[in-house]
Amino acid sequence: MEFFRKTLDPVIALSVIAVLDIFMFLIVGAWTVGGGETMMTGLAAQAVLGDDLQRIPFWSLVFEPDPSYWKIYISLGMLFGAFVGAVLSKEFYLRYPRHLSEWILITIGGLLMGFGIRLAFVCNVSTFFGLTPEMNLGGYLAISGIIAGAWVGSMIYKRILEG
Amino acid sequence: MSVIGECLVAFIFGSVVGLLVQRSRFCNTAALRDAILFKTYRNTKALLVAMMILTIGFTTFITLGDGNPMHFDVGLNQVVGLFLFGIGMVLAGACTVSTWVKTGEGNIGALWALVFTFIGMFLFSLLWSYNYWPPAPASMTGEPNLEALQLGYSNAATLQEKYGIPAIVFGIGQTLVLLAIYRAILRKERKTGTA
Repeated sequence: MEFFRKTLDPVIALSVIAVLDIFMFLIVGAWTVGGGETMMTGLAAQAVLGDDLQRIPFWSLVFEPDPSYWKIYISLGMLFGAFVGAVLSKEFYLRYPRHLSEWILITIGGLLMGFGIRLAFVCNVSTFFGLTPEMNLGGYLAISGIIAGAWVGSMIYKRILEG
Repeated sequence: MSVIGECLVAFIFGSVVGLLVQRSRFCNTAALRDAILFKTYRNTKALLVAMMILTIGFTTFITLGDGNPMHFDVGLNQVVGLFLFGIGMVLAGACTVSTWVKTGEGNIGALWALVFTFIGMFLFSLLWSYNYWPPAPASMTGEPNLEALQLGYSNAATLQEKYGIPAIVFGIGQTLVLLAIYRAILRKERKTGTA
């Protein structure tokens, strides 16, 4: 099938996603990833800590662990859809970062992303595909932050590339 | 809609998104990083087109009183949080979407980023439980709270309510700005022969 042999134009892909996101906005809410990830974090923490999780007020006042939170299933769906796409296009194979420096950068990057999402209440997806198209003030604040952050990150990345 | 219905709709939507992102190699990180570092705009243009469609779509339905806009107070935490996120996504080479999509392709580095995103969130929960900032959703009022560095809640719906102008008018204005950025990129690509 042609779809699984050629790379799809991202403008077409994102246009389809945008139309579907409008339906999501009408049914439950716009596309978001950070909220679902936070809930998964809470559920994982609950599985490990049990009742001790109650000692961390965040998990009762902001995000009470709830496996029926719909945003979780967007992320699981993305994982499933990407897996299907990769298998059918014969692009699925295990690949690992080759150098220790890559593992370190990914670790720091992951920590910053998780911390930043929760501090902001939004992730990049909510920023570009939810808040800003809703013309929420938070979208403009978040965009200014992510552009500045991406610039600083790019400068760090450039320095590392240049050795 | 029932809770199961919501979860099912979310899963189907996510599956289609995952498939399309995997097949198109779209990456939000690249949309910003490549524009800054390499002056290439393949992903940036796709992001802008999506934002134009969404702005028109969302503000049309907001005008009619439909849809489920996000509802929480905003403030300095959005700027600082996404600033940290922006650094993190470039260092990790993936954002929230591509970590899931690349993990689905068998990329262990993306899975590692995902695990540490969760750990970062848990670490934040510890800090929040100490300083209680930014304010919990239950204590949000929608009004500016400068002591807590919060500016309140405002979007196309509140603009419509405040000024009596349909939200779609503001939406068209925003779309024109996005279109101007898109056209500026096209001009730049033509000039440098990278289109």
